[in-house]
Amino acid sequence: MVFEEIYELYWQRIFRLCMGYVNDTELAQDLAQETFIIVWQQLPKFRNESNIGTWIFRIASNNCLRQIEKEKKFAKTDLPINLEEKKQESMEPQIQMLYQFISELPETDRIIISLELEEVKQAEIAHIVGLSESNIRVKIHRIKEKLTQKFKENGY
Amino acid sequence: MATNIDFKNIWKQQTSNKPNMEELLGKLKKFRNQNLRRLIFSNIGLITTSLLILFIWYRYQPEMITTKIGIVLVVLGMAIFLFAYNKMFMVFYKIDQTQSNNEYLQSLYVVKSKQKFMQTTILNLYFIMLFLGICFYMYEYTSRMTLGSGILAYAVTLAWIAFNWFYLRPRTIKKQQGKLDELINKFEEINNQLKES
Repeated sequence: MVFEEIYELYWQRIFRLCMGYVNDTELAQDLAQETFIIVWQQLPKFRNESNIGTWIFRIASNNCLRQIEKEKKFAKTDLPINLEEKKQESMEPQIQMLYQFISELPETDRIIISLELEEVKQAEIAHIVGLSESNIRVKIHRIKEKLTQKFKENGY
Repeated sequence: MATNIDFKNIWKQQTSNKPNMEELLGKLKKFRNQNLRRLIFSNIGLITTSLLILFIWYRYQPEMITTKIGIVLVVLGMAIFLFAYNKMFMVFYKIDQTQSNNEYLQSLYVVKSKQKFMQTTILNLYFIMLFLGICFYMYEYTSRMTLGSGILAYAVTLAWIAFNWFYLRPRTIKKQQGKLDELINKFEEINNQLKES
């Protein structure tokens, strides 16, 4: 597969995964771009042993997990007011809420639910995360319950 | 449980402008250069300092073996320090990014723990070699002084060494370890999320 095609096909999906992880448009853009830079570099090494989607999602989710390393550098200069909120005003509150709730989950749960919502097969998710399929199924069920609960608390 | 909220549908509505390829490739170039630059800078540091010291050796022709041992120790100390620094840097960048999250988190954890051990060991080694080297190096020149000024010269040097060893070194280690410990704990915590249930 050519890089341009991959980029075309996966940009939105990878962006959403990153967005679910950090709930910050700018940061998610950066993370998504970094992911594609890694994909670009690693592509010659990709063998068709596994699904290309699995392969890309692995890179993207690992990159998100590593994000905490960079977080530390910004933590101190963080502004007290969340400027990001203004930018997202136009967005539907439902979307905002969903992404916010997901980003508040434990790190690995964020990845699992994002992949599920992206309609990645559960067997694939198991392969990306490195857990058994039954484990993933249980986790997804619990996370969805948690999200529903939160939505209801907020009047949905 | 009634999940009548269509999460998938809400999820999909989030989109973002795709940066064009040129922008992405520009970033790629910058990213590559940055890594390379860092590596080059640290190595230029090593090479120029070593050359300077070797130039002193050549220019002033020390007579005693102690002076030569001193010079070799200092250069070797710096070489080991920079070699280890470069290696650690590379190890971190070589982690396979296409493993599963579970394996990836474990490698991050292992690498960071190794880094923690290396940093302390190498820093101690560096300081010891540098101090020993200086003491050896000084001997030739102090031996030509009067006894009093010779003792004074060593006293001042030893005081400076003590300050470095007992004050600067622990502080540097503490600062480095603090950052690493935080990361190690965080990686461990995330990894534990995958162990439960």
